[in-house]
Amino acid sequence: MLKINQLISGYGSVQILNGANMKVEKQSIVALLGGNGTGKSTILRAASGLIRSWKGTIEFNGEQIQNLPAHEIVGKGLVQVTQGKDVFPAMSVTENLKLGGFILKSKQQLLDNLEKVYNYFPRLNERKDQLAATLSGGELQMLCIGRGLMSNPKMIMLDEPSAALAPQIVLDIFKNINRIRQDGLTVLVVEQNVRMALLLADYGYVIKDGVINVEGDSKKLMYDESVKESYLGGTKANV
Amino acid sequence: MFNKLRIGKKGENIIFGTFVLLYIGWCVNSPDMNIESLKSVLTIGLSVGIIYGLVALGISLIYTGLDVVNFSHGEFFMIGAFAGLTMFNLLGNQDWIFNIFPDAYGWIIYVVCLFTAFVSMGLFGVFIERVFLRPLTKKGGGYTVAGMGIIICGFGLSVVLINVAYLIWNPVAKPFPAELGLPMEIGGLFLPITYIWMIVVGLSVAAGLWFFLNKTKMGLGIRAVAYSKDVSNLVGINVPLYISIIFGIACAIAGIGGTLVGPTYQVVVFMGYIILMKAFAAAVVGGFGNLPGAIVGGFTVGIFETASSFYISGSHKDLYAFLLMIVVLMIKPTGFFGVQVKMKA
Repeated sequence: MLKINQLISGYGSVQILNGANMKVEKQSIVALLGGNGTGKSTILRAASGLIRSWKGTIEFNGEQIQNLPAHEIVGKGLVQVTQGKDVFPAMSVTENLKLGGFILKSKQQLLDNLEKVYNYFPRLNERKDQLAATLSGGELQMLCIGRGLMSNPKMIMLDEPSAALAPQIVLDIFKNINRIRQDGLTVLVVEQNVRMALLLADYGYVIKDGVINVEGDSKKLMYDESVKESYLGGTKANV
Repeated sequence: MFNKLRIGKKGENIIFGTFVLLYIGWCVNSPDMNIESLKSVLTIGLSVGIIYGLVALGISLIYTGLDVVNFSHGEFFMIGAFAGLTMFNLLGNQDWIFNIFPDAYGWIIYVVCLFTAFVSMGLFGVFIERVFLRPLTKKGGGYTVAGMGIIICGFGLSVVLINVAYLIWNPVAKPFPAELGLPMEIGGLFLPITYIWMIVVGLSVAAGLWFFLNKTKMGLGIRAVAYSKDVSNLVGINVPLYISIIFGIACAIAGIGGTLVGPTYQVVVFMGYIILMKAFAAAVVGGFGNLPGAIVGGFTVGIFETASSFYISGSHKDLYAFLLMIVVLMIKPTGFFGVQVKMKA
């Protein structure tokens, strides 16, 4: 579904990605793991068109999408879900969600999708008239994922959905991500919380210094010595 | 000084209230104070204030949307007035309009002039933004980063636009003899009908903008772009297009302001500068970047300025707006409505 080939990109004159290769199959959950400053988020930002790709290709559904304007990439069905703090705080929850469906032409479609999101996250329905600024961290993350789902995407890319959240809430959100996959979407999830992400994902990539260092089945990655050493703190993951 | 004392919101309001009471006391003590002069002060203040408010609205809109202060906004106001005047001169000697609408002839032409100023300034604003400001953002990486260059570009544009207008229309002040009817009597006071037009049209434009921003899909998009360009991109909003729309709307509103002022005063090449400064004061008083605050600030500056020139001294008329701005900045730096919604920590 998404194929990233020898991608080179960065900010200003600083090169972050040094030729990354990735492949995300249809209806799968793929985890992209790595420490701070390794280029995880840069891959997402290049794929969603927020920064330019200097070299290499990004293919989505067989079409090359690198360096298209960001709003056209959303129109093709590839949506990035930002971290929970990136909502519009002075708007209500419903308005935030309606913005997610900005590219939809018909009003009925918008209301249907709103219903669908409230079905995934009943908590948002309870708070639909509140300002987004008054939500808790977990609710904000739900709002961000819900906003991403509003435009009928084929694939969503999540940028650290577990950042700064309590384990119970992370579990809840990851359950919902699994539900979204079962409903036919493809998911790419960028995470620092390696253990949780590998439990959720089918396949994993580990990025280091702007290139993919290790890749493989998530069950295999969990017992991989180099991953364990670098990211799991040397302890054995209990599955 | 006030920061060190940590007087807080309540203290700010008390000190500001004391200033207001002192000022009212000064005005009441003036020998010119009577009910007649008070009525004139209110109507003139409100009608001038709405003009300041309209220009301040544009400045605030551009500030929230593009994160820059547009120092050439007064010139859009001035060219808007000339656009309205040009349309007026074109239609003024057309007999067929008079033959079709013998009774409503004057105000139909005036409405067409307002509409012309609105549309032409909107298109002109989009043109200026695309040709002169957009290239700066490409080099600097977005509006927020390129801010300083755009501010200086705004100053330059202001000089250029004044001189272009000078070449086209020459520096002689021109009358705008719109035939809107006889003065109207309200509460024993005879008001030129142009004052009523200013207040009614100005408030309708402000209300229309509120409706547009809060009730339409495009308005929702504009509010989103104003808050965050990146997140707006990610939900599929065409951000470059929306930035042009924001600039265009702000300029169109300034154009209407110019055409509204025309019949009461005169249309002259240098009218933009002082209006820009006073609108700036109005925006600061209402809370910079706050749209309802811009209109309230406009009214406050207008009434304060008119009352002061009536009751204190008429020869320093242009001083009072800035005096008010300085007092507000000292005591309530956020202005009347400068409260932003913050994220829960």
